[in-house]
Amino acid sequence: MRNRQLLILVTLLCVAPLASCVTVKPQQRAVLADPIMQFDGDPQSAAQLRHAIDNREGSYGGGGVSGGGCGCN
Amino acid sequence: MAACLVSTAVLLAAAPARAQVVVVDTAHTLYHEAPTRTNMTVYTPGVDLSVNPAQWLTIRGGYEADIVSGASVAVKAGPAYAAVNPGADVISTASVNDLRHSPRGAITLRKGDVAYTAQYTYGTENDYKSHSIFVSAKTEAYEHNTQFELSYARNFDRVCDRTQAVNDRPPRFRALENSDACFADSDPLRTRHTLSIDGLQAGWTQAWTPTFATQLAYTAQILDGFQSNPYRSVILAQGLKAQEHHPENRARQAVALRANLYIRPIKVAVRIGARVYRDTWDITSGTGDIEIEKYLFEGFRVAARGRYYKQTGASFWSDDYTGGNAPLGPKGQYWTGDREVSPFSSIGLGLRLTYGIQPAKGRIIGLMTGLKVGVAADAIQFSYDEYTLGGVPITNARAYILGANLSASF
Repeated sequence: MRNRQLLILVTLLCVAPLASCVTVKPQQRAVLADPIMQFDGDPQSAAQLRHAIDNREGSYGGGGVSGGGCGCN
Repeated sequence: MAACLVSTAVLLAAAPARAQVVVVDTAHTLYHEAPTRTNMTVYTPGVDLSVNPAQWLTIRGGYEADIVSGASVAVKAGPAYAAVNPGADVISTASVNDLRHSPRGAITLRKGDVAYTAQYTYGTENDYKSHSIFVSAKTEAYEHNTQFELSYARNFDRVCDRTQAVNDRPPRFRALENSDACFADSDPLRTRHTLSIDGLQAGWTQAWTPTFATQLAYTAQILDGFQSNPYRSVILAQGLKAQEHHPENRARQAVALRANLYIRPIKVAVRIGARVYRDTWDITSGTGDIEIEKYLFEGFRVAARGRYYKQTGASFWSDDYTGGNAPLGPKGQYWTGDREVSPFSSIGLGLRLTYGIQPAKGRIIGLMTGLKVGVAADAIQFSYDEYTLGGVPITNARAYILGANLSASF
């Protein structure tokens, strides 16, 4: 179990620097900035839906990171 | 409260000398389910007001409530107990009526590409009080294509319970009868337990191409304190009924990956998500979801979504602690009647409609710079692998969730 967690961590550390190779220029962000591409477009209603579902399941977490597909908000 | 927030927003927006942006959000959710012998209806209204008095500062205040009514299982027994007590109704239910109030306030400070947020939330209901603090830091990197967010939350909660006899141990504990005088120190039959919750979340959002972005999130949470339902009892043996008894410690972890892809030729956004979860109660779960969204005309979007969820049961879960063949029988020092820690799966389907307008110049009805309304409907079918009510399987566990939200910018 610990080895698997270590492997995931190492993989993430290797993949994360790839982000620096990506360049989406500001003028190319029209689609990413559109509400249709936001991960949590309606945070309050998304939080209420999550609250309702969390109360019926034994699991929790992994959601609710604010921000969207575009680094412009 | 809502009227107060809206009137404050209008007053702030009406002051033209200040370059303020005021946003009022209101969301309402109605949850209803009525599986065998029980039912639950929860209405959750919420309103948030956020003000940007300066570019580097956002102040937010809000209020949310949960209005709960229904009937839940008060005494849980399984098929082995029902078999040796033929003719007896071994399950009992009790009505549930509660109202939770939860005001909150937050402040966000921005400096360059970094935003710091601090939030306080208070929750109060007849049998539960909660103080929650939340802090987060978010930064952007690589020409705003990358966002990192780190957040921490801490809850200081208190839960009402029945005062137990001094010499009694958990198998002799009796359940709380009702929530009367729960936080009145004068009642010797009421006591309060603490529950502290520490939560940490890290997120990485990445735009990979002009039409593709991903989000990776890791959540860890540690709970320490009373986590049982004080009202529920479980039959442990012939003539022995005890208050539900969960472990006091629980560590939970979840990793979620979400991807957003816009398919230009058909002008459709596809969102796919996957989550794995594991905790120290031995619950492991996996979740997969998909949402497809499309503009039908300018500003009007329609989305269809689906979700599949499956979990294993807690190590101390048993549908019958009095005996029977595996997986029935006692499971050590803890017992539960909670179907949420039993093994089950669920399938959810939903539809969402959103209409948003943001005029390039001028204001909507001379007041608003933007307006967004949305409605949603979801249905979830739960399939319980082991959970029964005295041996009767629950086959009609279906939940319906309706949502509506409105957001106005001034």
